Amino acid sequence: MSTERKPRVLVAMSGGVDSSVAAAMLVEQGYDVVGATMQVWDYSSCSIDEGNGTCCSSLDVDDARSVADLIGIPFYVLNCEAKFKAAVIDPFIQAYMDGQTPLPCVNCNTFLKFDHLIQKMKELDCDYLATGHYAQVKNDENGKPAIYTSTDDWKDQTYFLFTLNPEIVPHLLFPIGGMKKPQVREYAEKKGLVVAKKKDSTGICFVGSQGYDKFIETQVPMSELKKKSGLLKRYPSEEILGRHQGIHHYTYGQSRGLGLTHHEKLFVIKIDAVTNTVWVGDEEYLYSQKALMVEPHWLTDWSQDQTYEVKIRYQHKGALAKLKKVDGGFELDFVEKQRAITPGQAAVLYQNQKLVGGGWIKI
Amino acid sequence: MAKVYLDHNGTTPLDPELKLKIPDFLDLWGNPSSIHWAGRETKSRIQKIRHQIAESFGISPLEIIFNSGGSEGNNTVIKSVFQILGHERPHFLVSSVEHPSVMKSYEAIKALGAHVEKIPVSRSGQIDFEFIQSRLSEKTAMVSVMLANNETGSIYPIKALADLAHSKGALFHCDAVQGFGKIPFQLKDLGVDYATFSAHKFYALKGTGFLYVKKGSPYVNLVHGGGQERHRRGGTENILGILSLGFMAEKLSEVSLQFDRIEKLRNYFEARILSEIPDVVVNSAQGLRLPNTSSLILQDVDGETLLMSLDLKGFAVSTGAACSSGNPEPSPVLLALGLSREEAQSSLRVSLGWQTSQAEVDLFIETLKSVVIRLRSLKEDSKVIR
Repeated sequence: MSTERKPRVLVAMSGGVDSSVAAAMLVEQGYDVVGATMQVWDYSSCSIDEGNGTCCSSLDVDDARSVADLIGIPFYVLNCEAKFKAAVIDPFIQAYMDGQTPLPCVNCNTFLKFDHLIQKMKELDCDYLATGHYAQVKNDENGKPAIYTSTDDWKDQTYFLFTLNPEIVPHLLFPIGGMKKPQVREYAEKKGLVVAKKKDSTGICFVGSQGYDKFIETQVPMSELKKKSGLLKRYPSEEILGRHQGIHHYTYGQSRGLGLTHHEKLFVIKIDAVTNTVWVGDEEYLYSQKALMVEPHWLTDWSQDQTYEVKIRYQHKGALAKLKKVDGGFELDFVEKQRAITPGQAAVLYQNQKLVGGGWIKI
Repeated sequence: MAKVYLDHNGTTPLDPELKLKIPDFLDLWGNPSSIHWAGRETKSRIQKIRHQIAESFGISPLEIIFNSGGSEGNNTVIKSVFQILGHERPHFLVSSVEHPSVMKSYEAIKALGAHVEKIPVSRSGQIDFEFIQSRLSEKTAMVSVMLANNETGSIYPIKALADLAHSKGALFHCDAVQGFGKIPFQLKDLGVDYATFSAHKFYALKGTGFLYVKKGSPYVNLVHGGGQERHRRGGTENILGILSLGFMAEKLSEVSLQFDRIEKLRNYFEARILSEIPDVVVNSAQGLRLPNTSSLILQDVDGETLLMSLDLKGFAVSTGAACSSGNPEPSPVLLALGLSREEAQSSLRVSLGWQTSQAEVDLFIETLKSVVIRLRSLKEDSKVIR
């Protein structure tokens, strides 16, 4: 009998169907599997059904634990509340106060899943870290491990992975990346996992069903929020249309809930956090050709003046843009005009399904 | 993989002889309040156990109230005394290293108007007598100090503390959960007015314990209900739990024998750890301690990760108190002793039991050594990168 030990994997389990199936598959594939859930937010103040169906709520921790029991792996709850608040919640709130639309999942991946958990992976003597992301690690044309989009185009989550340190890519496993969601559910059902029929997590885990603006109101004192109230102005005529209760209520491209009794359909075109002005106008003004990308992260080789497929939000189909180095970052010059290029969101670059890198959109 | 259990202050495994007796206990299911044969049988068994425990601790059987364990007992005492004496004597003194069931009960009565002060405890585990002396007054209703600390194992001078409290007319409450079954003692010698006990810390079933209320001490029910426990605790008795407690109470005489064996083993463990692993400190090693407990600080090692690494190798130990696991805050007890957050987060509690063997301790030492070396070298690496 071989005395060589089986490769050991730390699998991040949220209690959802994807990471549960990932863990079960790893067990089936013969790995020595250790499960962990990051407790990231105190849900004691949430209603019972809230959080369930989002990522990592307290009921979800129970689900993760019961899956771990069923597949027979040790399971730990790691308390990351303080880190999560500092790295994810606080910047999320700050972004809205700055008139941006944040992308908290990227920070969670950057500072928790692929930093804190990578450290735990090493400490627990594991060879790999696995998650239930819809993404794939494959060798690229140079034989180097790289991140590729998942088989399921609709669920693909590589958009949230652009900040990963390329050095850790060889240590990552995404067991469900080669499957489509219905197959994942089928597998869960076959294995008798309690989470097989659980609804997909949608939205931002810590916000729940209340909506992000209500969440912000629970976190920021009313006196601070009042300072962010200001004027609603027509773009480009500068006509004053009314007052608003705070720029955190608005996001680029929004047309509902503007509080205007205008006969035409108007959209948020721009949010000016300095003057607290929310500019609204016709849809045509939402379209632009160029975007500025800052704080770039690169996972593979890249080159200037190369055209990449670029996603400017999670559910964006992707559009071709040429990458140009400019002062303070990179300019993305799109072949076709794009709708609602939103500061605070990420621009993520791909080449033949391979994740090349990305950065934050700034205006 | 061998499984080694070294977390007896968290809970204890069932005594192997007790385990064999439990199927027989299941035949005793009658409601002790019933006057028929089924009830009489269980009633008399419970009374026999009450007498036996009373005898072991040198108290009256009427002073024992069976309940669900230490947390219930502590809640009952603190809320009782506040309810009855709170107007006349709103002041309470409580050691800063108590179990959460004591601390939270005090927080609860504080919210209702009680004036609660915490008694400082030094790093070596010495309780501040001068502080108590300076604060005790005719307004003080009660002083609460545990018999032995769950994390460091420190044993506090209960007799002297109770005498001090009584000198100003205050009552004295002692959480005796960690002392029960680990050190021999007589309640009558401690001179306390209330003491709380839990069966599962002494190889019996969970969910059972008893509360000692000295005759004549103020008392109101926490659980109102039928006439059980002389109307002092409502709810049909947990017969199986009480029978298991009774079975172990018969073994209380073995505590002194085990004391010596376990203390030698613990001292052997600490001597080897201190000589074989650098940068380790034993908490509160100077004063009187439970014979089975060793609270260590392993510099530059994250307690949570250490615990998981040891668990993956089959060793069950604890960091902080079991109740606070999954809590990011370092143990409040260790912080109260004056340890820094970093030290408290690098803590490890090892608590031995009646079944712990020398071979298990040796195996544990070797594993702990290798894990600590690994974790420290990783920490070194990450320092270099950052």
